[in-house]
Amino acid sequence: MQENPVGLRSRRRREYWLFAALVAPNLLVIAVFAYWPIVYNAFLSLTDWNMIAARPAFVGLANYGRTLTDPAFHRTLWVTVVFTGLIVAGSLVIGLALAFLFNLPLKGRGAVRTIAFAPHVLSGAAVATIWLFIFDPGYGLLRGPDWMNNSDWALPGLVIVYLWKNAGFAALIYLAGLQGLPKELDEAAVMDGASTWRRFHAIKLPLLAPITFFLLITTVIGTFQAFDVIAVMTGGGPGDATTTLSWAIYNEGFQAFNAGRAATLSIIMFVILLVVTTVQARVLERRVHYR
Amino acid sequence: MRRRGFLGLAAALPLAGCGYRSVDAVYSQPAGAVPAQYARRVRVVFWSSYGGVNGKAVDGLVAKFNESQDDVYVEVQFQGSYDDVAQKVAAALIAKQAPDLAVLSDVTWERFFLNEALEPLNGYLADPAVYQPKLFGEYVVKGQSWCVPFARSTPILYYNRDAFAAAGLPDRAPRTWSELQSWGPSLAKVQSGGRALRTLAFAKVDGDWQFQGNVWQFGGSYSRGLDVTIAEAGAVAAGEWQRSMVHSLKLAYMASSPSTDFANGLVATIQESTGGLKSMTSKAKFRVGAGFVPGEVASGIATGGGGIGMLRNISAERKQAAAAFLTFLARPENAAWWTIQTGYLPVVEAAREVPELKKLIAEQPNYGVAIAQLANARQQDAIRLYGRNANVAIYTGLQQIYADNAAPSKVFATVARRLDAIGAEVRRLYEEKVL
Repeated sequence: MQENPVGLRSRRRREYWLFAALVAPNLLVIAVFAYWPIVYNAFLSLTDWNMIAARPAFVGLANYGRTLTDPAFHRTLWVTVVFTGLIVAGSLVIGLALAFLFNLPLKGRGAVRTIAFAPHVLSGAAVATIWLFIFDPGYGLLRGPDWMNNSDWALPGLVIVYLWKNAGFAALIYLAGLQGLPKELDEAAVMDGASTWRRFHAIKLPLLAPITFFLLITTVIGTFQAFDVIAVMTGGGPGDATTTLSWAIYNEGFQAFNAGRAATLSIIMFVILLVVTTVQARVLERRVHYR
Repeated sequence: MRRRGFLGLAAALPLAGCGYRSVDAVYSQPAGAVPAQYARRVRVVFWSSYGGVNGKAVDGLVAKFNESQDDVYVEVQFQGSYDDVAQKVAAALIAKQAPDLAVLSDVTWERFFLNEALEPLNGYLADPAVYQPKLFGEYVVKGQSWCVPFARSTPILYYNRDAFAAAGLPDRAPRTWSELQSWGPSLAKVQSGGRALRTLAFAKVDGDWQFQGNVWQFGGSYSRGLDVTIAEAGAVAAGEWQRSMVHSLKLAYMASSPSTDFANGLVATIQESTGGLKSMTSKAKFRVGAGFVPGEVASGIATGGGGIGMLRNISAERKQAAAAFLTFLARPENAAWWTIQTGYLPVVEAAREVPELKKLIAEQPNYGVAIAQLANARQQDAIRLYGRNANVAIYTGLQQIYADNAAPSKVFATVARRLDAIGAEVRRLYEEKVL
């Protein structure tokens, strides 16, 4: 690069200091409340500590060895994958369908949109309590199987609750995407005689890809961290039928007081999410058409 | 270079940033509000785990104490369940704060004791001989007291007297589990809410406390010392009896809240803490009966419930003040009042002679059941008491039996492996401090 004139260089420096001053407060907050816990958590994962003992004992990578070879952990991972897969797929499909519905010029759609979105802003504990009534084997609206007291039905039951809670959010985001699509393309396709299905899968779906990508990442992360509804409705049970990674972290940390192993599970979850997000980003980068 | 510097900093921070607990440091009290008239007294913060009817009784005792003298103000802070209190005490200590007194359950006080978070109580107790010896002795390790008994309980068998009468059964608790099983078909002929009345409900969560007694009744145990025995014959027989009651005979089921179902008349009998007697009696719209938990090849039931521990990381002044409250609770009239208000066992021997309690037992014999049954009660097997999360490992195993018709021998073999690992975590401290 060519040498800069002196005036330009000092202006750059002033701008640099201004930049630093403006981002410092945010950086500080992020450092204290996000990065510090991650670093501390990574440290705890190398220790054996029951949270009451005066100090943690350093054990190196023993927690990782024990966790990764534990059959209970493998089962937890499997439950988490099934749980996340069903909720992510369900939220996207139902959300997209609802978005198309809400995009139709029907009477009262404003009210219906609000109703569909409302569960998303309700507290998880309240939602869980309501659904316990709905699933109650004695007098519930959806009585049939004893949902929460049966290992085969408890996980599907939880998935239903989370879909009910999340699909409205996906619908809202998709709807915003749909309404932002350029009308010319669709009109041109109609002129060319394209069928509704073809306009959907060859034009609208690809154009919505950035939205899908956003929802995919946020829903995967959100579902991995899901805790409130599980805590109220199943407590990870019956047996370990609904023990997801996040419930296992709580159980290991706050019921068993094994801070080291809870921290290990958290780091494993962090790495999984990091890998999933990176892979999604890499794969979709090539397919997503940003306009 | 820069990156290496950052990594070095990242590795050093946790070590430098967090001083850990010193067992003799004095920590500050949790915040609260002191009414003006008590402002000049020594403040004692008492973390309690009792809500509802029992919480009001705690408030009553504390208010009476605060009026009874001029030096100490006890502030009771309700913190949720037994587990919640344990979590919050641990979190407080990490944050260098300590309540002065805390209710600790049958399975949580041990972890605070083993890790030197509790103050030894021998020097504070005015007269240890006043306490009920069995309940007091459970907190004595190598001659030193670590908690005092407070809301101590055993399970008792609650039965629906109206339903028993309708089924043509005697007005008493069954003597054995086999007898209860033989009564099941008669109870099933009674209708309740449009369906056949069920005989027995098992708790979905924390049912391993009642099951501890059931295992003894069928001749087994959870462990000898920390050596796990839950996969052996007696425990498997107890599990098998319960499995067949649920899945073969369809007489029993797993309930999220057995006491709610019982109070609503959905199930004829439950094994539940005597500490729920008062609230159960007031909620149920039928006559509530209570009796001993049935035996089978043996009798024997587990003690449980809460004691009060004093934290070690508080000042000498706060310790003395907290001890004054413990002494107050050990007065016969106060212990008796607590029993009358809740149904918990009288933890002080002389409380049984207090006229109000004698009168209550004469009028409502249910209140005397747990006291009479105390002769059969004993401290739980060490793995459940000292193994952190042993209770969760056991009750999630029971859930598989109740929910999925899993074979108890298989379930308990898996649970035993988990308990072995849990026992290994505490074995060194257990052998050093308890044996």
